[in-house]
Amino acid sequence: MLKRQPISSLVDSLKEKKISVQELFDQFHEVAKENKNNSYNLVLDPEYQKSNIKASQERYSAGTNLPLDGIPLGIKDLFCTKGITTTASSKILSNFIPQYESFVTQQLLNDGAIFIGKNNCDEFAMGSSNETSHFGPVVNPWQNKNSPSEKLVPGGSSGGSAAAVAEGSCVASMGTDTGGSIRQPASLCGLVGLKPTFGSCSRWGIVAFASSLDQAGPITNCVEDAAYILNSISKHDFNDSTSSNYQRDDYIKDIDKKLDHKIKIGIPSDYLKNVTPEITAQIENTKKLLAGHDIEFIDVAFETTDYALSTYYIIAPAEASSNLARYDGIRYGVREGGSNLDDIYLNSRTSGFGDEVTRRILIGTYVLSAGYYDAYYRQAQKVRRLIKDDFQRIFQEVDFILTPTTPNEAFKIGEKLDPIAMYMNDVFTVPTSLAGLPGISLPSGLSSNGLPLGVQIIGNYFEEKKLLQLSNLIEKELSFNE
Amino acid sequence: MSDIDIKRISYLAKLKLPSEKEEFYSRSLEDIIQWVDNLKKIDTSNIKPLHNVTEVTVSIRNDNIEKNNTPEDVLKNSPERAQNFFKVPKVVE
Repeated sequence: MLKRQPISSLVDSLKEKKISVQELFDQFHEVAKENKNNSYNLVLDPEYQKSNIKASQERYSAGTNLPLDGIPLGIKDLFCTKGITTTASSKILSNFIPQYESFVTQQLLNDGAIFIGKNNCDEFAMGSSNETSHFGPVVNPWQNKNSPSEKLVPGGSSGGSAAAVAEGSCVASMGTDTGGSIRQPASLCGLVGLKPTFGSCSRWGIVAFASSLDQAGPITNCVEDAAYILNSISKHDFNDSTSSNYQRDDYIKDIDKKLDHKIKIGIPSDYLKNVTPEITAQIENTKKLLAGHDIEFIDVAFETTDYALSTYYIIAPAEASSNLARYDGIRYGVREGGSNLDDIYLNSRTSGFGDEVTRRILIGTYVLSAGYYDAYYRQAQKVRRLIKDDFQRIFQEVDFILTPTTPNEAFKIGEKLDPIAMYMNDVFTVPTSLAGLPGISLPSGLSSNGLPLGVQIIGNYFEEKKLLQLSNLIEKELSFNE
Repeated sequence: MSDIDIKRISYLAKLKLPSEKEEFYSRSLEDIIQWVDNLKKIDTSNIKPLHNVTEVTVSIRNDNIEKNNTPEDVLKNSPERAQNFFKVPKVVE
């Protein structure tokens, strides 16, 4: 069985001809095509990938293999993939076939990766449970041991990506994170989820939700795999005006390197005010794991945490309402009939968007409308600066910040009907997104129900290399202790 | 009652809410707006709004012509087309 093996050892097996690219693909495709957790909107046919598989095998035979050659990946159905239906899990895009490839997926293809299929997600990435998808909810492959018949959510919005990796139908999957959409599902499915610094990975060709927040990143079985994928996708791109042109690191090199100086990790007491003992225990456990290293833990306190969700739920819907104005039934997407142009717009949009997307468009339209713009949108943008400054103040004292990823384990499908209760799930991930900082969720243990829980490590801007080194250390200590 | 005029907001958003759902969205919008209202407590009179979080992006390129799409590519997903145009109902009377 090759499942759960890190990318590096799969590449070694392919190099040493212990397995062929075709055999590797088939193993994952077999699981994917059953789609028993509904984690795929589309599973690609082996015939479709035949030439890619052949080309990859030839590179291995010639000894010219690329960094991700032959590695089967899942791709969130929010990335435009040339010639492959890309729906954003929405009815309005259910017939959309992009004529171009997103920047991020193009980098993965350039590095030899082979796509298994398009992962289900919340509609337009709006959700924290993958229940808003037009194609139905995704089921978390994990079960509550005290109530095994219950179907649980995988988290969201990259819920299909997380479930796909957890069920073993792909080696890793590309997700996107706007307020926690990579980190939260990774946590609820017992995986590693990395949201890089805003501006690291081009947004070009990713169906836009909130452009000042959206960022692509991997959901993987281990930290090293996240580094492999980040190496591939983190590049400057002229097609995204917010893409940063800073010099990228090699995230694989020295990932195992021991800490060569004392580091300080801040633990925000305000994050732990209202959490259950089980969640607090994740932080305590992580501290214990690192006790043998030269790490100092410092209590820190944010002043803006109570305002982060409010800020997010003004800014993200405002940007979404503007971004989603393009879906009008004229140039692409599903068109509904109408006797005049206005009717076509109204009918196509009303029938094409689900409840949560409609709700967020309405919120966004309201906070941007005349008379409310200053009170809500502009005020939120100002508070966003205070949140960013708050992080920078803490980062003068510490190198990293350690928090829980989510306030709870995976919950039942259909359990959270109130939108605000759902939004609260992102309370620990949203502040990092607003500040644009990199964050990674790591599995930290199991709940009393036998469900995975995670911790989040936050680094300073563009410090993914150090963040991955520390994460790798925590992962090693955790597996050593298991 | 709040001052949220759901009919006006949905019109601005080019959405035609079915009348039986107006109440549902209206209440939901009110709840959320009330929930985010705590931001008004913060004094931000001397704070500049933050648009681009990294604030350092300098990404200027030469304005060279690149041919990445053909008209055929661009029109491929059109629900209705006429020759090289997107087709819509008559707009001008």
